[in-house]
Amino acid sequence: MDVPTEEHLLYSQRPEWADVLPLEQYENITPLAPIFYTDEYKDATNYFRGIVKSGEMTPRVLELTEDIIRQNPGHYSAWQYRYKTLMALKCPLDDELKLMDELAVKHLKTYQVWHHRRLLVQQTRNPGPELEFIANSLQNDMKNYHTWSYRQWILAYFNDDELWSHELDFVESMLEADVRNNSAWHHRFFIAFQSGVRNGDQDRDAIVRRELAFVKERIAVAPNNASAWNYLRGILDHAKTPYSELQAFVKPYSLPQPPFGTPPEVVDLEDPLPSKEAQLPCVAAIEFMADIYEAAGSNDLMKATELWRSLANEHDTIRRR
Amino acid sequence: MSPTILPPLKKGGHATHCKRCLSGLPSSQVDLDPTKMALSFYCLGFLDLSGELEAKSKDWEREHWRDWIWTQQTREPIMASNMHAVIRQTEHIPLGGHYGTGFRPSSYMTATEYATEEYSDHNTPHIIMTYTALLSLSILRDDFSRLDRKGLLKFLRSCQNSDGSFSSEPLGGDSDLRTTFSAFSISSMLDDWSGMDVSSALRFISSCRTYEGGYGQSPSGEALGGTTYCALASLQLSKQLESLSTQDRQKTVRWLVQNQASNGGFRGRTNKDADACYCFWCGASLHVLDAGDLVDEAAMSSFIASCQFKYGGIAKTPGEHPDPYHTYLSLAAVALLPPNPSGEASWEICPLDPLLNATHQTSSWARAHIPAPKVDGDHAL
Ligand SMILES: [Zn+2]
Repeated sequence: MDVPTEEHLLYSQRPEWADVLPLEQYENITPLAPIFYTDEYKDATNYFRGIVKSGEMTPRVLELTEDIIRQNPGHYSAWQYRYKTLMALKCPLDDELKLMDELAVKHLKTYQVWHHRRLLVQQTRNPGPELEFIANSLQNDMKNYHTWSYRQWILAYFNDDELWSHELDFVESMLEADVRNNSAWHHRFFIAFQSGVRNGDQDRDAIVRRELAFVKERIAVAPNNASAWNYLRGILDHAKTPYSELQAFVKPYSLPQPPFGTPPEVVDLEDPLPSKEAQLPCVAAIEFMADIYEAAGSNDLMKATELWRSLANEHDTIRRR
Repeated sequence: MSPTILPPLKKGGHATHCKRCLSGLPSSQVDLDPTKMALSFYCLGFLDLSGELEAKSKDWEREHWRDWIWTQQTREPIMASNMHAVIRQTEHIPLGGHYGTGFRPSSYMTATEYATEEYSDHNTPHIIMTYTALLSLSILRDDFSRLDRKGLLKFLRSCQNSDGSFSSEPLGGDSDLRTTFSAFSISSMLDDWSGMDVSSALRFISSCRTYEGGYGQSPSGEALGGTTYCALASLQLSKQLESLSTQDRQKTVRWLVQNQASNGGFRGRTNKDADACYCFWCGASLHVLDAGDLVDEAAMSSFIASCQFKYGGIAKTPGEHPDPYHTYLSLAAVALLPPNPSGEASWEICPLDPLLNATHQTSSWARAHIPAPKVDGDHAL
């Protein structure tokens, strides 16, 4: 028979916890959706309620709250009380961050994991390692909302030139891995247009040109990619550039087949053509052309209506109406 | 378009799934404890919307449920008349309850011995739970005589931050468009907007708008279906939807329509897979923008039909396990954007108020009973 180790003993069986008065959960009325707790969870939370009542903030509180968090990562009060205790005890927060590295991977979708981390980093004021941690964490889930939000928060909150310096490369590598990752496109917009002007980026027209060139290239590689087309529209709206200025680039994508039987002899770097394998016409391009015609008004309205109709009938099964 | 034959919507089985969750949850779902009030709302909401509430529950059960929800309402300290409170105050021990009154998610932090005490900083009310508690009580046709309206307004004020956003709890927690929407709904149900600074709240909403036309969870976040609904419904509840320019409105409509995938379901973000809950978040957003006719309702319903779990309940995608959240929101989407004509009577559902997210009967009940009773003209109680 195994001798039960200390870890497997309930708090109520451990002499070093005998001085804490456990407090049972109040449930004297038929509750809605009662949860059938395990004995371990019931025991730990009884002791936690007792600790909170007495206001104790000692190292064993860290053991207890970690235990509860591992059983229920959404336990808001356990996180909150743990943080208060860490502060009260002036604990080395690097150890806590190491523990969070482990818990973040396990509970990637739990809000509290990320919230706790923000609080810690606000104390350590050492955001550097965080970007690498996030990059690794995104390898497990490339579109995790919390992870991306945390990255944007780190960048904006500390707003340090060194932190920003590799951001464009980072997002480019993310898009390299998956050109349809909208979270990465969104992050790129955040870097380019929404997070202030950093050293070297003062020429805003140059930034717009850089981003237009970038998105056109990505559209050429994979034309049927809503994220890229939304990004293109986003740049134009942001820079207040009329869509018609993109007509030369967009039109070939709105036609049933590439405009040339053979690849053009001169590659137009400014307006890259769809690749030979591209599935054409591209719905987003037809929509874009229709918007150009609609904005032009009068005679072109007819063309716009025609395009909308073609979209409804053939190319876009879902938006029939 | 050719008429689509839909398989039946098995409302009875889905209602059983919701009722089963109300009766008890396995220990593996312990992470729902801090959001249990919301879970209860999805279950009750389904029973209400499907017309199964009376059939699936007894009078005494509904009475107990009401009582349980009221026990989650925190108590404000009764000053002066309460000796205990006076003593604590003179000892400079922080007195619980000074953030106003709201509802907790559950009793998970409430100890039996101290159940009737004022709340501590570690057992505070939660703004999303408060919104869902008010709706659940309306579904259960409570008369709201136990509602502390003044405390509720104070609670909203203590949750609002300087940037106009709302924290989920007075001492912190998440603050994003879900908490903003809860504050707007509560104010609207109370018919009293004195619990918030409306103009800074509106500024926060517009700061969450993204280049795609949707709204992110917070100012630099990616456009997301759920929070886009929260933003638009908040604007409409405060009668500010007109402040969106025609171009912005079109942009939002375009992004929402683009989110209907080829399988008929809606995705929550560009290029993600469809998920049943976004049929509501995106569909209701389009409805609020008066563009519900752009939804292919038949395709949406057939996607939802495919998410039905054979033993009851609706899952986020075909083949997944069901849960009350996706079960309720799928039905709410169908109620708002019915497949017409479906040739299947099971798909006919009573209409929904898209702003409060409840049947019209329930939202009328809320609007009739939650505001402070008016006494001879101007003097409110
Ligand atoms: Zn979902």
